Amino acid sequence: MIDFQQVDKHYGHFHVLKDINLHVEEGEVVVVVGPSGSGKSTMLRCINRLETITRGQLTVNGVSINDKKTDINKARRDIGMVFQHFNLYPHKKVIDNITLAPVKVLGVSRAEAEKTAMYYLEKVGIAGKAQAYPSQLSGGQQQRVAIARGLAMKPKIMLFDEPTSALDPEMVGEVLDVMRTLAKEGMTMVVVTHEMGFAREVADRVIFMDQGQIVEEAAPAEFFANPREERTRTFLSRVLSH
Amino acid sequence: MQFSILTDYFGTYMEGFRGTVLSSLLALVGSFLLGTLIAVFRISAVRALRWFGTGYTEFIRNIPLLLVVYIFYYGPSAFGSSLDGFTAGTIGLAVYTSAFIAEAIRAGIAAVPKGQTEAARSSGLTYVQTMTHVVLPQAIKLVIPPLGNQFINLIKNSSVLTIVAGLDLMYFADIVNSDTFRTFDTYVFVALFYLVLTLPLSYGMRVWERRLQRKY
Repeated sequence: MIDFQQVDKHYGHFHVLKDINLHVEEGEVVVVVGPSGSGKSTMLRCINRLETITRGQLTVNGVSINDKKTDINKARRDIGMVFQHFNLYPHKKVIDNITLAPVKVLGVSRAEAEKTAMYYLEKVGIAGKAQAYPSQLSGGQQQRVAIARGLAMKPKIMLFDEPTSALDPEMVGEVLDVMRTLAKEGMTMVVVTHEMGFAREVADRVIFMDQGQIVEEAAPAEFFANPREERTRTFLSRVLSH
Repeated sequence: MQFSILTDYFGTYMEGFRGTVLSSLLALVGSFLLGTLIAVFRISAVRALRWFGTGYTEFIRNIPLLLVVYIFYYGPSAFGSSLDGFTAGTIGLAVYTSAFIAEAIRAGIAAVPKGQTEAARSSGLTYVQTMTHVVLPQAIKLVIPPLGNQFINLIKNSSVLTIVAGLDLMYFADIVNSDTFRTFDTYVFVALFYLVLTLPLSYGMRVWERRLQRKY
C-alpha cells in the first residue's frame, strides 16, 4: 500500500532521509520510533507529499506520489493525517471541521456529511461537542476530533505524526484508545510516536530510525526483547528505563 | 466662528461631501479587491507573480500619493486619451491604497499557522479551497485593525482629488473659501464632514473586530 524504494531527501546540504526502503501492507500498523531529528516525521510527511523527496520512488495506493503528473489532491483523499498539534480549524465548530473536506473534496451533501461526522464523533466518544469550537475542548478531545476529521474522508491509510506528544499525560490514554480501536478494525496506519507501550501492544511492525536511516525493523516482541543493532539498544535503554 | 457659513453654504459642502463619499467608496472597494489580489500574488508559488506583487507594492508604497494620482491624470493624455479629475483621482487613490492593503493582508495570511494549511491540504482541499475556507477567514481577524487604518487613511487621502479638480469636499471648500474669505472657519467645518465619515468607520471596525474575537 505504501512503498518507499531507495528514497532520499535533502534539505539543502542536510541529508534528512537516507536510502529509505519501507513497505507497508494493507491493514498493517507500522509504528516508527527514534530520537528527535531522526527523520521519522519527515518520512511520514513524504507519504502525502507534505514533503517532497529528492530521489527514489514512493508509491502510495498504486500512485507515484512524487510524480509531477500525479493529481496530489486526489491521492490525498485516501490518506488521512493526524498532527502533533491537532491543527483543527479554530474558526469552525467541531462539526464543520469534520464536514469541510467531505463536502468540498468528495462532494457529498451537507446532510450526509453531518451524519458521517456524527458517526465518527460518536466513535471517538465526543458526539456531545459537535457544536463547540475547538478552543472549548481539552487537548485530548481536540486530538480525537482531529482523528474523526481524518476518518470522515473514509481514507485507506491513516498517518499519525506524534499524536500524543502535545498532550497532558492524563489525556494520552484517551487518544491511544481511539487509535487502538482503529488498528483493531483493520485500518492501515503509520504512527510516529514516543509511546513505547502503544508500539509494543498495537504495532504489527516497529521501525527504528536514527540519523535519517531505518536502522532496524521487527515485530514488536522481537524489537523490544532482542534489538539487533547497538543504536537501537542504546535508544531503548534510554526511553524504557524511566 | 461664523456658523452661518455652514448653513449658507450647506448645499456646496454637501456637493463636495457626495463626491468624497462616492470616490472613497469606489476606491475602498477597488483597493480592497486589488490589494487582496496583489497579496495573493505575493504569496503565490509562481515566482513571476511573487516578483510582480512585490514590485508593485514597493513601487506604489514608496512614491507620494499625489504622484500616483498624476500618473492617472496626466498619463492618459500622453497616449491621446484623457481621464477627468474625479476618475483619475479615484483610480489613483485605489491603486495607492491597494499597496498598503496588500501588505496588511499578506502579513495577516503569513500569521496563520502553517499547520492550518497542512491540515487542509492533506485532506485533499485545493490551494484555492484552503485559502477561502481555512486561511483567509482566520487572516481577516488579524487584518481588520490595519485594514481599518488604511480605510480611514483612504478617506482622508481622498482630499488629493482637489488638486486634479476631482470635485471632492476640499475642492468645494475652496469655492466656499473664495466666496467668504473666512478661511479658518470654512475649513473647520470641512473637518466635521470628514469626521462624520471616519469616526463611525473607526467605531464599526472596532465592533467587527470584537465580534470576531468573541466568536472563537
